[in-house]
Amino acid sequence: MTADKRFGYMDHARQALGLVATPFFWLADTPARVGSSLGEIFVSRTELLDENARLREELMLSRQQLLLAESLTVENNRLLALQSASALLEQEVLPAEIINVSPDPYSRRVLINKGSQDGVFVGQAVLEANGLMGQVVQVMPFSSWVLLITDASHVTPVEVSRNGERALARGSLDGDTELDLEFVIPTQDIEVGDSLISSGMGQVYPKNYPVAEVVSVRRSSGQPYATIRARPMAQVWSTRHVMLVLEAAEPDFPVLADETDSGADEESSLASVDSAN
Amino acid sequence: MAGSVLFNSLIVLSFIVAGLMAIVPLPDWAIYYRPEWVALVVVYWVVNNPERVGIGVAWMAGIMVDALTGSLFGLHALGMALVAWLALRLRLRLRLFGVFQQASVILVIIGLQLLLSQWLQFLFDLPRGTNMMFLAPALTSALFWPLAWVLLGGLVRTLDLN
Repeated sequence: MTADKRFGYMDHARQALGLVATPFFWLADTPARVGSSLGEIFVSRTELLDENARLREELMLSRQQLLLAESLTVENNRLLALQSASALLEQEVLPAEIINVSPDPYSRRVLINKGSQDGVFVGQAVLEANGLMGQVVQVMPFSSWVLLITDASHVTPVEVSRNGERALARGSLDGDTELDLEFVIPTQDIEVGDSLISSGMGQVYPKNYPVAEVVSVRRSSGQPYATIRARPMAQVWSTRHVMLVLEAAEPDFPVLADETDSGADEESSLASVDSAN
Repeated sequence: MAGSVLFNSLIVLSFIVAGLMAIVPLPDWAIYYRPEWVALVVVYWVVNNPERVGIGVAWMAGIMVDALTGSLFGLHALGMALVAWLALRLRLRLRLFGVFQQASVILVIIGLQLLLSQWLQFLFDLPRGTNMMFLAPALTSALFWPLAWVLLGGLVRTLDLN
């Protein structure tokens, strides 16, 4: 056990056993999978039509927002280029599916169906459609364990999107699926309803992804720190589909870019947007 | 000894099924009460067939659970070895007990296993419960012991292995 914990000698054994364990996970997941596929089979035609219409509408709305976002991205990139800083605002993702949940009630981890064969690495950030989900902690050939942001041993560096106040969000220690903001002094400006986004510090998570929403703030004069709880935006327990961020998070500090190069890129992308408009 | 291969495969199969039961996703309210299926199977075989299943096999079964749950290597292995050792010490008495009296001993054995793993989790600074809920599986394991006893005993008798 010491060899495993302190020195990582057991990594190879873990890999091999992980390979053997893959069919087990598949088998254990069968009830849930059969249940959901039965649900898909026995769905009525009108429901499908309704869903189709709803999805179309959603797609249209997101397209429109995407158009807006694109122009904002371009503008943002141009401004960043003016500061001669380069920042990645788009990230490639690899879709994956959750195939099991850790049976240990005290650790919040899920197993996904992508492993080292798919290029998954330890420390890779995992996203969900609504926000940040967690990071990969253990990679096996065809599957890997993802530590969720709600785990008590996991701390996510966040900032308030409204004013950029920074904080650390730790998975709550008493076992529910919320986050505690640690070491927030009472004078920091954080209110109920504030949305917390990843700050990109710690260089594990990409910047600016939604993490959580503040649900309660308690400041008592006797305590050195405020007690703040936040609810994760990601549907940590009800989703099956997640995304792995392919590129490592960009460094938080500005990196000097080759000015002529990025400038030229900007020109061309601006031109394309102009022509699109 | 014609049934030897059959018997050994029944043992392996029982451990595989127990391992599956140990990782099948449960609803949120139930995860604290998941019985220690593998430990129950270990106790059954150690009590009834100590010549086939001993501390070594129990250790291997524990390694299997470690691999399946992604926990620290050796955590469950050590626990299962402890369970097997206790069951070996108590096996002659356990065989005389009625099944519900056995269940009370199971409660203690699995409680000790959980206590050991709680200590180890503390020692290695792993996520763990902060209250006494970590002992809940001992209770449910004791409740499910008669089921395991009847099921495995029935299988052995049906296949006419003893």
